[in-house]
Amino acid sequence: MPEGSESACPMDDLGRLRAELATANQRLAEAYRMASLGRLVTGIVHEMNTPLAAILSNNAVMQRGLETLQRLLAEPAGVGEAERLRAAGILEQLHSLTAVDKTACERISSVIPGLKAFARVEEAELRKADLNCILKSTLTLVRSEFRARVIFEAELAAVPEMECYPQSLYQVFLNLLVNAAQAIEGQGKVAVRTVLEGDWVCASVADTGRGIRPEDRPKIFTPGFTTKPVGVGSGLGLSICRQIVVDRHGGRIEFESEAGAGATFRVWLPIRQTGETRSTSQEL
Amino acid sequence: MEGNARPAVLIVDDEEMVVTSIRAFLKLETDFAVHGFTDPEEAARFMESSVIEVAVADYVMPKMNGIQFLGRAKQTQPEAARVLLTGYADKQSAIQAINELALFQYLEKPWDNAALLLVIQNGIERAQLVRTLRDKISELDVAHSSLKDVQTRLLRAFM
Repeated sequence: MPEGSESACPMDDLGRLRAELATANQRLAEAYRMASLGRLVTGIVHEMNTPLAAILSNNAVMQRGLETLQRLLAEPAGVGEAERLRAAGILEQLHSLTAVDKTACERISSVIPGLKAFARVEEAELRKADLNCILKSTLTLVRSEFRARVIFEAELAAVPEMECYPQSLYQVFLNLLVNAAQAIEGQGKVAVRTVLEGDWVCASVADTGRGIRPEDRPKIFTPGFTTKPVGVGSGLGLSICRQIVVDRHGGRIEFESEAGAGATFRVWLPIRQTGETRSTSQEL
Repeated sequence: MEGNARPAVLIVDDEEMVVTSIRAFLKLETDFAVHGFTDPEEAARFMESSVIEVAVADYVMPKMNGIQFLGRAKQTQPEAARVLLTGYADKQSAIQAINELALFQYLEKPWDNAALLLVIQNGIERAQLVRTLRDKISELDVAHSSLKDVQTRLLRAFM
């Protein structure tokens, strides 16, 4: 079949090009994921460094305190009132330090889930996950980066575990939270909320930043579009968010904004992933 | 009795754990009066009414960063030694602080307790020396003006 073989060539080419494009896109998304994690490294280092510094200092202080207690107990003249008072003072300080160490360890541990999620290779299988946990871990990572000027508030309603690709959702909320914080010049606030509505969970990220200009609104989900300075924004964040929310989860992402009065992004995700949810998602 | 005699050290860090750790260390190892704050504005108000020898401030804090805080310290307590404690190895801001604030010392987190103590002790010594120097200068000023007075009277007596 000469005509068949002739027409098969361009089709093959098209198929090959499509596959190449898909692979390139996947690589780009992967590179973007690692880049967004890299951008948070300063904040993460600070988030871990401060509690670590406290633990290190406290350990040395506690050791000295224990040595002093030991010396006081070994007084050949016995433990008098003065020694007892001194020991009580030391014990009080040691107690306050164990409390600090506990908080410090909790602070370090709180960074781990988010880091693990970002370091893990993208999963192909759907899993059940708690959206609030994803939000909390992502908030920990982002909060540390912007803590000097942005207050992060979370109002998370009880939501059931949902079928999703959790790591890709970490990416979505990381992008939205970083965008929200970067939109704020000077001091401001970012509020994160979850609400359960029927079979859907809505997570919103609202900021008090500069807002989105009317002329930019139609373009914000277009790959490559950015209003951030060179080196800050790649223009991929929101297009990746839309791809993950809409294409991978059959959800919806929408925003409202007033120039100068902040922006609110809402992500709607179905609790269960079915073929139907995906096809009807656009009508919701 | 003790209030005036004990050197006063002020620590401000928005992280409660840092304040508690350093305070516990200084309380166990020294007899300094330690004033810890997590709110730089509150700490700045404290400096307006109480004399301190050393101010140790974290760099990254909401509302007011460490450099801004130590700038306030320089205005209200010029003799106090100013120490910046930071988790960021941010040399640029360190240079800025050293130049603009005549920063006494720059320490990085995690800090070494022995090094921190040495810095604070040196800071106290410096603050006390500067205060003594200031007192001596004002004594000299008084002596100088009374000498001038005597000179004027002598001149008047002889002319």
